[in-house]
Amino acid sequence: MATTSTQYDQLQRQASNLSPADRLPLDSPYEISNELYDALRKVLHDVGGQPDTPVPFTEKGEEDWEMNTYLTCECLGWRGVWNSEERRRRENDLGATQYFGLPYYARWITVAAKALVDRGLITTDELGQKIDEVRTRLERKRS
Amino acid sequence: MSTTHSHAPLEESPLTEFEVLELAVRELAIEKGLFSADDHRRFSEWAEARTYTVGSRMTARSWLDPAFKERLLSNGTETSKEVGVDWLQPTGQGTPSDYTFFYVLENTPKVHNVIVCTLCSCYPRPVLGMSPDWYRTPNYRRRMVRWPRQVLAEFGLHLPPDVEVRVHDSNQKSRFMVMPMRPEGTDGWNEDQLAAIVTRDCLIGVALPRADVTASQVPKQPKGRSGGKKR
Amino acid sequence: MKTMTPRFQVGDRVTVRDATTMFHTRTQGFTRGQTGTVVEHRPAWIVPEDEAFGIMENGRYTPFYVVRFKQTDLWPDYTGFEVDTLETECSEMWLEPAGKGKK
Repeated sequence: MATTSTQYDQLQRQASNLSPADRLPLDSPYEISNELYDALRKVLHDVGGQPDTPVPFTEKGEEDWEMNTYLTCECLGWRGVWNSEERRRRENDLGATQYFGLPYYARWITVAAKALVDRGLITTDELGQKIDEVRTRLERKRS
Repeated sequence: MSTTHSHAPLEESPLTEFEVLELAVRELAIEKGLFSADDHRRFSEWAEARTYTVGSRMTARSWLDPAFKERLLSNGTETSKEVGVDWLQPTGQGTPSDYTFFYVLENTPKVHNVIVCTLCSCYPRPVLGMSPDWYRTPNYRRRMVRWPRQVLAEFGLHLPPDVEVRVHDSNQKSRFMVMPMRPEGTDGWNEDQLAAIVTRDCLIGVALPRADVTASQVPKQPKGRSGGKKR
Repeated sequence: MKTMTPRFQVGDRVTVRDATTMFHTRTQGFTRGQTGTVVEHRPAWIVPEDEAFGIMENGRYTPFYVVRFKQTDLWPDYTGFEVDTLETECSEMWLEPAGKGKK
């Protein structure tokens, strides 16, 4: 909640204090303050205005797996399995550690897999087996 | 890829779990009939062909043709067809991430536009291609809405106090492109020459076109003219 | 694309509702409770609150608006200049006439 800009800033500071590198010890505490709960449930992707330091703005073309991730996610949207807003919501659902910890397209492909499981289109064991099979095949191809 | 090397050639990156996961998801989706390999190939062909030079072209043509510019500003989606971009492609309904509402933001002597998407990375792929890596970082998303002049300065762009910096936080279905002003020193240039100085960053709004800075090539000077001369 | 009669007109002063958001939003925290001016209408679309959860067929369509804010209103410690602005889009359910909401 952000009734005033000052309160909003306060919330932003609390939310940024949850970052993995510098955070309160969170180990399923018995009780937490309302302020901490507000910070914990802040919608993750809503980062506009959070203080941050200048960094180099780097250029990097898409790697093959990144472009393929974009294409796979778009094809799932094209054929009506999901939509892009659902993908973005599912990225928030990953939680702060994965949202900020995974590379950009790794967030996409992770939530695509989860969406297929949630819809009952694939099962987790089927996904795990496929991952192992693909890994073995690609490793053999590259060795 | 050749398999005769004892170790992978330099250009071949080591196998990553993301690559494995993507292929696993794609293969399962195709096996289950969620989409076809042909869908993936068609989307790939479309995506690989996207480039910001379409945005450069639209800008250059607008500088030369006021009627085109008026059409582009009043209906960006429709007018994109004149430079070969149909926002309904490649699916017939547009791309799932970009939809079909395209607006061009015209810079004036008093207003400088710049785009950001604080909530994700919304970007006009059909006319600008894939977004740059920095555009998608939380850092750019965090800071551009609140410290725009500082961020622009980091890109080398310093704007005077009487120019309104207008930040567009692209947060719903619209996609935006900035149309910069035609720089001095380009009198007599043709559309190709003008398009060559409109870089991708100009179309995002973090840079301004200059007669002496080109995206990919030095514009050829028209013979017998002094139009492109640097001052 | 559906045509709907918008509640707000270009030039209207509007305040973004300061409502609790659970799980997902397209209405940025920094706009909540802030007052700006409607500068353009946008085509009606399903609200992201429904779209994000895959509710498409029964999703709620509403008009969307481009709202322009003064940066010095959004950020009390804004380090730019008085003329600077920010535009973003809001679905109708997030807007109320300026002055009506808590601020």
